[in-house]
Amino acid sequence: MSGAAECLRGDATAMAQAVRSRKISAAALVEASLAHIAASNGRVNAFTEVTAARARQRAAQLDQQLAGDAPGMAESPLLGVPFAVKNLFDIEGLSTLAGSAIERERAPAAADALLVQRLEAAGAVLVGALNMDEYAYGFTTENSHAGPARNPHDLTRIAGGSSGGSGAAVAAGQVPLALGSDTNGSIRVPASLCGVFGLKPTFGRLPRTGSYPFISGLDHLGPFARSVRDLALSYDLMQGPESGGRRDPGCAQRAAEPVLPSLAQGMDGLRVGVLGGYFQDHAQPEARAAVQRVAQALHARDTVELPMVEAGRAAAFLITNAEGGALHLDDLRHRAADFEPLSRDRFLAGALLPSAWIDRAQRVRRLYAQAVAGLFEHFDVLLAAATPCAATPIGTEWLELNGKRLPLRPSMGLLTQPFSCIGLPVCAVPVWPDAGLPVGVQLVTAPWREDLALRAAAVLEAAGIARAPLASPTIGEP
Amino acid sequence: MTPPQIEAYVDAAAAALDLPLSAEHRPGVLQYFALAAGFAAQLQAVPLHAHDDPAPVFMPVEPAAKAPA
Repeated sequence: MSGAAECLRGDATAMAQAVRSRKISAAALVEASLAHIAASNGRVNAFTEVTAARARQRAAQLDQQLAGDAPGMAESPLLGVPFAVKNLFDIEGLSTLAGSAIERERAPAAADALLVQRLEAAGAVLVGALNMDEYAYGFTTENSHAGPARNPHDLTRIAGGSSGGSGAAVAAGQVPLALGSDTNGSIRVPASLCGVFGLKPTFGRLPRTGSYPFISGLDHLGPFARSVRDLALSYDLMQGPESGGRRDPGCAQRAAEPVLPSLAQGMDGLRVGVLGGYFQDHAQPEARAAVQRVAQALHARDTVELPMVEAGRAAAFLITNAEGGALHLDDLRHRAADFEPLSRDRFLAGALLPSAWIDRAQRVRRLYAQAVAGLFEHFDVLLAAATPCAATPIGTEWLELNGKRLPLRPSMGLLTQPFSCIGLPVCAVPVWPDAGLPVGVQLVTAPWREDLALRAAAVLEAAGIARAPLASPTIGEP
Repeated sequence: MTPPQIEAYVDAAAAALDLPLSAEHRPGVLQYFALAAGFAAQLQAVPLHAHDDPAPVFMPVEPAAKAPA
């Protein structure tokens, strides 16, 4: 194995350090990533587009600038680090697919999404676009147009969704860093099932400019990584309002609040609660066991119930269903057969929901947010499983939970939807059983307190409770 | 809503929206509409008062020249 291929097995922070200290070149690191993608993607199906020419050009440019001691290169935090993005992020020169066949006909994007620009400004190198559920409406990435994204830890199973390609690419070691979006759980579900770290920041924290929308009032963007420091670093680099005026009306225009400086502060003074009731009832034994391990490690003794949680989840479902249907109404009228068969009927039904239901959902949503805010007067971090179970076989239709038989595809987000509905920041950390596949645990904090969720994640990582090992090298030796 | 009420509503609303439902799609649409109706019933059970505002808040848009840099 070459030095660059070995380096690719580490995290982004270490990779950038190796490039900055000239132990390896950006070009070699990017070639190692491209080679690993070429060797493994036929099985994993995480990438829908590999931007090899662009990546090689960019890496060569970085190496030249480093050799010439160009200003800032020695400090570039992600120098030479390959990364990839869910294919709803704009990439200049490519049509933004958002997992669909319909969007293949649209004009190519004129510019990169803002968060892609920000990561590249920090020295990272974009190597491609990643598989997802069509229009982000799903939790399994069983995409009928592109084929299913496969879980690198067990290729017969789902990677989760809707950012399934993002979770799979990071778990497979194709890239150390990926971006996804989360409207109802689409970062946290694939992070949980693929055994990697994922961060859904507070609603409004990261600007969504240049990404394909799903539900404007619920969409969040965020990173996937195999280490907490990579998650914190990439998140810090993407923070801050848009310069030159607001283009994302949902962006809070809040100054950056970096989390990296406080990452090692530990849990002193932090009160941790375990969410019971709804969150216990909708978790299978492996998910409950993962939460229990985290609770023990963080010395959480209190079990609490999230007030109004079922109503909050109902509100999230209805708002998503109605607004998603309305967004695509014209195509649903004229070309419904071109939609993903697994979500098309849900979109069609959503377009028909009475407006009084949605108005009520938005009013209940606000009451629910107010009720939950009260809980954070007593707790700093709340724990819940990220998915009801570990990754299921591709094609699974039903999920048995608490004696009830539920349709699996919309139900994988049962435990994530209540938090994105009210914009709370959540870090999903991967917890592995002695044998078998991981389940993520959500570290949920009050709005704008991503720092606390990441501090807790760092404690769990240091204790060996949360970890994101690379999938077996048999999926494609880098 | 009862299943016949759902069928009647879905067909009427689809016609009003000029949204054709093919024979292949209609059973799935009815199934998902019923799921949504169940969630709507849960929300109906939450007491609301006139002063309970919806979550989204409109933000006025300033002219570009006065937008923050």
